[in-house]
Amino acid sequence: MRKRFLAAVFGCAIIATGVIGAGAQTKMPQLKFRERTLANGLRVLSVVDKSSPTVAINVWYHVGSKDDPDQRSGFAHLFEHIMFKSTRNMKSEMMDRLTEDVGGNNNAYTADDVTVYYEVVPSNYLETLLWAEADRLSGLTVDEESFHSERAVVEEEFRQSILAPPYGKFFYALDQRSYNTHPYKRPTIGSIADLDAATVENVQKFHTTYYRPDNATLLVVGDFDPKQLDAWVDKYFAPIAKPNLPLPRVQTKEPERTGEKRFTEYGANVPLPGVGITYLIPSEKSEDAPALTMADIVLSQGRSSRLYQALIYQQQVAQSANANADLREDNGLFQLTAIVAAGKKPEDAERSLRAEIKKLQDVPVSAAELEKAKNQIITSELRQRETNLGKAQALGGAAVLLGDPNRVNTDLDKLQAVTAADIQRVAQKYFTDQNRLVLYYLPESQRPASTGAKASRNGERDNSPTVREGSLSYKRAKGAYAK
Amino acid sequence: MKTTPMKFGTLPLLPIAILSLAVGVFAQAPQATPPPPAAPRTVQFPKPAEKILPNGLRVVVVQRSEMPLISSQLLIKSGGEVDPAEVSGAADMTAALLTRGTTTRSATQIAEAIEALGGSINSGGRWDSSAVSVDVMSSRIGPAMEILADVVRNPAFKDEEIDRLRRQYLNNLKVSLGQPGAIARFAAARVVYGDGPYGHPLSGTPESLSRIKRDDILKVHGTFYRPGNAILVIGGDVSAESGFALAQKYFGDWQGDPTTVMLDSLALGQTSTTNTPRVLVIDMPDAGQAAVMAVRSGINRNSPDYFRGIVSNSILSGYSGRLNWEIRVKRGLSYGAGSTLDMRRSAGSFSASAQTKNESGAEVASLTLAEISKLASGDLPDTELTTRKASLNGGFARGLETTGGLVGQISSLAIYGVNFDQLNQFVGSVQAVKAEDVKSFAATHLSIDSTSVIVVGDARKFLPALQKAFPQVEVIKVSELDLNSATLRHAVSKN
Repeated sequence: MRKRFLAAVFGCAIIATGVIGAGAQTKMPQLKFRERTLANGLRVLSVVDKSSPTVAINVWYHVGSKDDPDQRSGFAHLFEHIMFKSTRNMKSEMMDRLTEDVGGNNNAYTADDVTVYYEVVPSNYLETLLWAEADRLSGLTVDEESFHSERAVVEEEFRQSILAPPYGKFFYALDQRSYNTHPYKRPTIGSIADLDAATVENVQKFHTTYYRPDNATLLVVGDFDPKQLDAWVDKYFAPIAKPNLPLPRVQTKEPERTGEKRFTEYGANVPLPGVGITYLIPSEKSEDAPALTMADIVLSQGRSSRLYQALIYQQQVAQSANANADLREDNGLFQLTAIVAAGKKPEDAERSLRAEIKKLQDVPVSAAELEKAKNQIITSELRQRETNLGKAQALGGAAVLLGDPNRVNTDLDKLQAVTAADIQRVAQKYFTDQNRLVLYYLPESQRPASTGAKASRNGERDNSPTVREGSLSYKRAKGAYAK
Repeated sequence: MKTTPMKFGTLPLLPIAILSLAVGVFAQAPQATPPPPAAPRTVQFPKPAEKILPNGLRVVVVQRSEMPLISSQLLIKSGGEVDPAEVSGAADMTAALLTRGTTTRSATQIAEAIEALGGSINSGGRWDSSAVSVDVMSSRIGPAMEILADVVRNPAFKDEEIDRLRRQYLNNLKVSLGQPGAIARFAAARVVYGDGPYGHPLSGTPESLSRIKRDDILKVHGTFYRPGNAILVIGGDVSAESGFALAQKYFGDWQGDPTTVMLDSLALGQTSTTNTPRVLVIDMPDAGQAAVMAVRSGINRNSPDYFRGIVSNSILSGYSGRLNWEIRVKRGLSYGAGSTLDMRRSAGSFSASAQTKNESGAEVASLTLAEISKLASGDLPDTELTTRKASLNGGFARGLETTGGLVGQISSLAIYGVNFDQLNQFVGSVQAVKAEDVKSFAATHLSIDSTSVIVVGDARKFLPALQKAFPQVEVIKVSELDLNSATLRHAVSKN
């Protein structure tokens, strides 16, 4: 429970603001940003905020794990790690010297659709960091040794996020099962086998293909002088050439689902069973996105939410229960998940989850519930915007994922305009039987003994790839992987 | 206002550190070396105002009005350390149950009331304190404070809610015990604190949870939940006057013994029972990774060694700290390694930890101990000390950027009776720590001779190597793990 729905680092489809509701007293300050685009295509967005002597720098590259090369799942994320190794003028880990060593910090994350690098530093180091970001955009000089060492780190990240926690494999399987043809079916974290197959040549090619000024958005938020920023940007970024190469984009469309699909996965370390349901939903740019987000909040935000009240409090069928409108650049997923309480069955939890879906379809949410959800959104957005980094993330999401930075200031109005009828309509439209996928996650001891092959719950043969230890490829639900 | 505090520019050796790193970087147009920093700015943190109400409640208000948000915490100066051994988890359950029903509101009504405001309420036990916190837009603070006061003052503790929460805790524990890292942390507490007040899991064990009755909850609430043992912190978009007025309105007539509960009756101070370090393997054959920990007793929060301690820890911990550098950056053995100096009312602990593939469990254990050991015996160049202090100061400042972070930090100082001036003196105190202070702290408080090692994972893959380095290793099967006792092992049955 308790997620910061809008603060999700990417897919911030829904960004706040405006002088909106929540009592006349509370206003979301507009984010006043400047925008310019250099001749080489680099977009620069900036917000002055002198309340603290720090500055947040973001570089958003419009490339994510959906752009992983063939047979190289996890590559975009591995590449993101390599961006902290040597560049034309920096040796490995110099980015840490320029940030951590002066009281700042840095990190990066890779999601399905974007890769984002960020630093927060004392504002007198802004020029230094602009130089450094321009330098690694200009080129990498990675060597075999640091490549192999960092790849081993990423493989440990795989183990730590997927193999060690009890439900790592569950969320991986749910995401991977949920797509048929779109590259979203490949895990952001990749697989050990695909990571092992990656080479330094792959790194150079990926950089040439995607790390170019016309595929990047630079954000600067905090304590700086706008004219000075422009001059520094001109000095360090303008000389970077725009390559005369096409920028590949994923064209694959995920087909509509045509009937319920059910799967069962087994794990060695499953303290309590898991149940997941997904529905394919449209892009975050869709007009239906705000209503789907509101449905998520009504179902799962807080202890008064419907899933908590029904599954955890009243029926006590679940240890935890969640909903997630996982909106993406292409088709997303509406996910419902539950970890089943001791003594209860996965069937009990599934029945309860589906009863809540049916309720959304049959009865409009009450005025009080809708008002509550809208107040929760405002609070959440205010909290995200407490920091320069939070503001930069909100603005970056609007610009890169929604294609319009102004949506940082207009999308909350759209959310506030969602009606009970809108929520009921999208529930009826998307949460249908033929659009449903159900996954049970059970202890290995419950695997049917009769056959060595994996069978799905309803007895059909399961055509999933053979599971080999150490080569499982997993992905967290809505998971972004950091440095 | 998000002040940053940091006198970034006064860090004396920064330009030198930067230049030294540029050595070896080949020059190339347009600019081969990073431009130097401009002149720095400095800022002060907001100063809290405080008063004590006639009923003994200490009230602290800290104003920062940039965003229309307020966080508030009602703190009780007693937490999991007051649990009797047979009902460990009682203090945490008591705190969690506050929001599960009052004499006039059901659990659901409490959640609906606060969430209708767009806010949230959370409560739970910690070590040395228990807390109820609300986060809400400042325009809604009145109704939120009314709910906060109601749950603290009028909890119902219905049997039905106790049973429901007990089942939730048992389920949560099942999930935790599926994670090697969580098991290592549970085991570490027993290794360091033995059967002492900090030794048990904060939220209890399967056995103790089953024994907790309503009377145990009532006893915790009756003994510790009173104004003289409580602190109310309100921070964010609120003036001192309005904060004090809110406190008076909602807690002014809270009755109770205004004296502070005497803590010496709780046998604090006799924490560590283990002078002999242990090397413990918890064999979890299905573990997807091994969790490696080195752990020993530490210092208390009011120790004069506080700043020497946190600077020493910062040499080891953080992204560019020595542990992560050696284990992750240089060798690719983990996604992250670090350490924690956990300071409490009585001596806390120092622990270093990393997760790694099962096969490298022994190697990571040895590397971890080696780095801790080098802190006392090896070199600590000024360039390294300076940059690690900068990182420590920067992290402190970022932790105070949000309303919740600011209130959390103030709450922590208040619980331990630390003067709030420490907020603005933090950077200077860190800067005053010298290399020889770190070495002497490490020699006195971080000696590996009294440090235990815990590895939780698939023992087949690391036990032989670990036994070579540590012949005294004990192995406990995860199925035999007993969190109720310092031995960590269920008594062997007789048949």
